[in-house]
Amino acid sequence: MIEALNLLKEFVLTKQQRKELNTTDKFAKAVNDVSFTCQPGRVFSLLGPNGAGKTTTLRMLSTIFKPTSGSIKIAGIDAVANPQEARKKMGFLTGSTGLYARLTPNEVLKYFADLYEIPKDEFEQRKEELYTLLDMHDFQGKRIGKLSTGMKQKVSICRTMIHDPEVVIFDEPTSGLDVITAENIIQLIRNCREQGKTVIFSSHIMSEVDLLCDDLAIIHKGKMLFNGTMDAFKQEMQADNLTAEFIRIVNDSQNATV
Amino acid sequence: MIFTIFKKELKDTLRDRRTLIMMLVIPTLVFPIILNVFVGVSSSFTEEAAKKKVNIGFVGAPDNYVTQKLHELPKTAGEREIIMYDDTASLFKDIRSDAIQIGLYTPADFDRRMTNKEPAPVTVYFNATDLGMKDRAEVYLEAIQEQAKVERYQLMELDEAELSPIEVQYQNIASGKEVIGKLAGGILPYIFIAFGFLGCMYPAIDLFTGEKERGTIETLLTTPVRRWQILFGKMGVVVLSGLLASTCALLGLFLSIEVFDLVKNPELLDIIHEILSPTFILMMYGLLFPLTVFFAGTMIPIAVYAKSFKEAQSIITPLNIVMVLPAMVGFFPGIELDAVTAAMPVVNIVLATKELIAGTLDFSLLLISFGVMIALAVLAVTVSYKRFDKETNVIM
Repeated sequence: MIEALNLLKEFVLTKQQRKELNTTDKFAKAVNDVSFTCQPGRVFSLLGPNGAGKTTTLRMLSTIFKPTSGSIKIAGIDAVANPQEARKKMGFLTGSTGLYARLTPNEVLKYFADLYEIPKDEFEQRKEELYTLLDMHDFQGKRIGKLSTGMKQKVSICRTMIHDPEVVIFDEPTSGLDVITAENIIQLIRNCREQGKTVIFSSHIMSEVDLLCDDLAIIHKGKMLFNGTMDAFKQEMQADNLTAEFIRIVNDSQNATV
Repeated sequence: MIFTIFKKELKDTLRDRRTLIMMLVIPTLVFPIILNVFVGVSSSFTEEAAKKKVNIGFVGAPDNYVTQKLHELPKTAGEREIIMYDDTASLFKDIRSDAIQIGLYTPADFDRRMTNKEPAPVTVYFNATDLGMKDRAEVYLEAIQEQAKVERYQLMELDEAELSPIEVQYQNIASGKEVIGKLAGGILPYIFIAFGFLGCMYPAIDLFTGEKERGTIETLLTTPVRRWQILFGKMGVVVLSGLLASTCALLGLFLSIEVFDLVKNPELLDIIHEILSPTFILMMYGLLFPLTVFFAGTMIPIAVYAKSFKEAQSIITPLNIVMVLPAMVGFFPGIELDAVTAAMPVVNIVLATKELIAGTLDFSLLLISFGVMIALAVLAVTVSYKRFDKETNVIM
């Protein structure tokens, strides 16, 4: 389970940034008082246009960023006070994730297994399961730099799942991927849900959201505009389709601010 | 955890061709190449200068004392031909065109002056850009002068020894090791420092900026490893790379002497063997270690801050000049390790190594140098930690 309460993240603005943004404020609020809960066995989708604060929120959940204020619990662990323990419970994958091009898939997986302190037998078994599931045996010993995008994506998936995390965080996981490669990710999210894991993913592709998510939240300019189940979202919908409704909510919020 | 990161980063680094060339190949080749070029050029120059037939243009009475003696000089003094000239104008012209290399002018009454025991002038014309020719003329004329003196002493029935009341003897009390250490000892630490810096540079950029640029750092930060452990694991590889580059330079020196046989002078060879003792090498590494940590600690904050490989390289490359330039101080024989220079980073390491080579190192100054470098290394590591811990620096 993920429990985020009153999350606030401020960044210090440099003189240059203040000039560019035409503001005298010393801080910029990337995320402003955001709260939500992601349940195990359900897929939670974080929606928002570019610059809404999705990535910052997910980076706070994954403990890369420390919240300015607010609390985060990952599988019952206070992720702000005890980030190392929280990280053991989570897997993190982004669309822009890179891999070590000079290493082989075997070496990358061993490296991450060691970082997660997975016992050797458990690692071998887990690796075998993932290789079979993703059909990776043929290229396990090749340098990653020589693999295709699809193959690399499979390695990324293995790397994310090698320690069998309870919570999986996906930050725009399919961005920049072709439909065939993106399908691997979509299948992975489905598998996670079936296995009772807590899944949160950010996206702005509504078809993907419709396909996968059980719960969703919409954020814009760091503020939460909607938080509820997918069913509730559809029932409250005023526009004809999901994309139009998403645009309507964002525009309404923009007009209200102006 | 630190060791897991260190192992992986080392493997990754050793598979990077660019780093390997900068870290292993170039440092290993530098000494053999420098020595080969130096030995080749200097020996061929000396041989060529000795073998070269010298045409000596002569203005003066034919068959006077000087020309006679020039003919009589042994062949071992170098092959020569005397060409007679009527005036100095054509003599200058031919020196300029290299038809002759030395021009001698004696007045018409040269022999009369000699007979009358008066000073008889000889003017030597030469082209200073034609290296070695002035020396050849000096050798010839000194030999003629000595002969003329002996003849004159005999005529005057004087004992030569009686005319030299003081016999000056010069005795060098410095050992060959000391001379080499003080005069040329700066080259060794300079090369080690320069390669130590270059050896650190590429891994520092690759392991910090490169990881950011390739988008792998974000994943690494979500593993249950503390940031300081990541920093130390990576920094270990940067420091090791710097030390490896210095070691390769040392290996190159060893190969030049022991395998390629580039140092022919047996006395010099003995001195070099004496200098490169295991104790010297150990002490040199003791000095190089904090310096390399200091280099790594200076580069890492820049590499963490930079957004691209190019940006990091453009900041660190000028830093190379600032860091390595002080190492050139070792080339100047007058500058020595004292309480002031021992407190100056880089300079202290070079001067301490020089003293170490010469065998004249004051251990209290060594301790000051070492202490200063350790303090700076700790400071640099602290700055690196602060930078690496700053979340906006690590993530693009």
